[in-house]
Amino acid sequence: MSLFGKLNTALVLGVTSFLLAAPAQAERLVIADSKGDRGMPAPFVHHKNGPGFIYTTYIFDSLVGQDENGKLIPELAQSWTASDDGKVFEITLQDEAKWHDGQPVTAQDVAFTMDYMAEHPYIFSSVANIAHTRVLSERKLQLVLKKPNPNLPTTLLIVQPILPKHIYEGQATPERFVDKAAATGSGPYKLVSYDKAQGRYLLEGNQDYHAGKPKFDQLAIVKMSSPAAIQAMKSGDVDIIPSLPLEKVDAAKAAGLEVLSVKSNHPVRLVYNHQGTFKDKSTRQALAYAIDRQALVDVVYRGTAVVADTGYFQEGSFWHTRQDDPSYPYNAVKAQVLFENSGWQKNEAGRWTQDGKPVTLRFVTEKRFKKIATALSDQLEAFGLEVDLRLMERAALQQASTTGNYDLTIYSSSTLGDPEGVGRRVLRKGWKSDQFGHHTKMKQLLNKQMTISDEAERRVVLKEFQRLYAEELPAYMLANPIWATAHNDKVTPRFLPNGIAIGIPSALPKRVFVEAGEE
Amino acid sequence: MKQILRSSSIFQTLPKGWKSVLILFGLVAVLSLLMIASPDYKTSRDTLAPPGTEHWLGTNDIGQDVLSGVVLALPNTIIISVVSAGLALMIALVFALVAAIYSRTLAAIILRMVDIAQIVPSILLILLLAAWFQPGFTGVILILALIAWYDDVRVLRAIILRELTRENVQYARQMQASWSYCARYHIIPAIWPSLLALYVQNLRQTAMKLAGLGFLGLTDPRLLTWGSMMQDALNYMYEPAWSWLLLPPALCLTVFLLCILFVGQRLERYSLAMSSETS
Repeated sequence: MSLFGKLNTALVLGVTSFLLAAPAQAERLVIADSKGDRGMPAPFVHHKNGPGFIYTTYIFDSLVGQDENGKLIPELAQSWTASDDGKVFEITLQDEAKWHDGQPVTAQDVAFTMDYMAEHPYIFSSVANIAHTRVLSERKLQLVLKKPNPNLPTTLLIVQPILPKHIYEGQATPERFVDKAAATGSGPYKLVSYDKAQGRYLLEGNQDYHAGKPKFDQLAIVKMSSPAAIQAMKSGDVDIIPSLPLEKVDAAKAAGLEVLSVKSNHPVRLVYNHQGTFKDKSTRQALAYAIDRQALVDVVYRGTAVVADTGYFQEGSFWHTRQDDPSYPYNAVKAQVLFENSGWQKNEAGRWTQDGKPVTLRFVTEKRFKKIATALSDQLEAFGLEVDLRLMERAALQQASTTGNYDLTIYSSSTLGDPEGVGRRVLRKGWKSDQFGHHTKMKQLLNKQMTISDEAERRVVLKEFQRLYAEELPAYMLANPIWATAHNDKVTPRFLPNGIAIGIPSALPKRVFVEAGEE
Repeated sequence: MKQILRSSSIFQTLPKGWKSVLILFGLVAVLSLLMIASPDYKTSRDTLAPPGTEHWLGTNDIGQDVLSGVVLALPNTIIISVVSAGLALMIALVFALVAAIYSRTLAAIILRMVDIAQIVPSILLILLLAAWFQPGFTGVILILALIAWYDDVRVLRAIILRELTRENVQYARQMQASWSYCARYHIIPAIWPSLLALYVQNLRQTAMKLAGLGFLGLTDPRLLTWGSMMQDALNYMYEPAWSWLLLPPALCLTVFLLCILFVGQRLERYSLAMSSETS
């Protein structure tokens, strides 16, 4: 037992006593989240990250859902049809859908949500393309778009939670609406309690749920570090650890737990400043050749990641097309030649200079990337490039990325979901994006694929995009971390091939917690 | 053999102060030997290796050799913390003297300033400074002094107030001695043990705060100090690695603080001896 084993036990006891306070006879599932607080599970107040979104989906339904394989299935919408020009979507709602307070879900609620979110934008979806809504009856409405978007179901309908009009109407500041009523949804679970300080959630099954019975009477989410959670799982107090650090996988397996692990397709990428030092493609490629990604993966991830694919989409993911994109295997000579071709020179001290001045790369990133940034800086300095590495708080980083006060930075975001999201991560200005909007060809390709509904046709365009991305290197994909989920036999988590909704690589889509509907 | 005996007798005849100087030189020599002998502080595939023949003190989570880390961190840690802790104490001493000696309003102004500085979290100040400029080595020292001095003012003022009531100070003032004379010859020697204690406390705090600066964008996080090594080690408290990641830098820091304490006490005795000789 380690030095802190005792501390663990105390922690487990504390959480156990919290769980015991709830009625004992109910069938309960306990999720151990290492971070705990993900924000109040309601659309405007959950945290701006995957888990915050996913916990909210247990309480709020969208119009369209996903089955165990990620295929689109009806959720609040019984059916949806697009007009031939792709500008009008007619939606028919479920007959029996009810809000948690017993009121029926109507077409007015959906229309209200679209209008309300135009005024108060939801972070994970945009209604900017919706011109207006037309309520046809209690159960039927039309969404009229400004521009045709054949992929509306996978870009908006699958993501956007539907709000109860009778609760949100008149709320001027939903981002400060944290009353329990804010979490009145129409999903399979109801919020019983949420403790922000402790990071604890208690949900109860919604027996009136329109699309199948909830599998559990109660769903508890508790904050617990992974070593403590593994112990708690052994004693049966915890049922799922959604994100198990890979170095803990062996310990979890030794404890008799089942572990599900997949490549996250949430790669870590090195983003260049395209306005400054890395304006030219050749310097970006030169830097790519100077980096030994396999060594990075070995040192930093110790077998818990694989070298990423350079063409944005990752091998094995839904939109990836196998082709021989340039992968920039480590080659110092090639890097040197490329740098020299773009006018850089190595001085006698072995340091790279540009226009006679020694190059110092300003490398800014978040605290959580300290290890990979350090290892990367080591490699670059060994190659003769001086690095000034800074770890920053989010606000300072955002400022650095908008003002262009950096040469290199590291981001990590999901490459899954509808490829509409690719544009946001590659073209858009601002933080967490490659800021590559000035590249006409790439912009054209990404805009073109959004107008295509046929999957095969879309793949052709995206294949070209992948090739272009690998060649132009808006960012250099470094590592694709492997994510793991530990669970017992009470539940069968699964990773969807294209992620949840906007492409979140999590093994806990809400279908896992609902009995299959009687179809 | 004779040689050794002679040299050891020379060692014994040396005045006491010189002995510690020799020990210090010996330490420096050993450390530089270690620095040459130990591998580079570079990331490597040898991650979290336990202590062994290749890495005497093991490696950390990105394969950096702990022993060379501890050695490399020595100059950074010592220079930065010794200077900035000293600077902080000096600022505090000046303010405390002024607040104790001069008018009530001046004292009130200084003490309110200290109140404000103590209430506003230093992390805010650091973030603000980090947004404005990228400090170099000296900048970091100044910033650390700037976020440490105010904790000492109150304590020092209380001690100085007590000293001001003593006969020697009162007598010197009667004899027209200036305040700076009194401070130099009467107050500071009398409060030397407290100054020393405060200095050691400042040292410890600056050494740990220094580690935090790297996470706020103020310094390159690769600026290696014992504090930063300890901070990195905290991620491995649940694993066996904590013993070789945490203990070496923690031990070094402890020994360093003890050394400072020892030197300070020596200085005190030395100055006592000097003053008794002159009188």
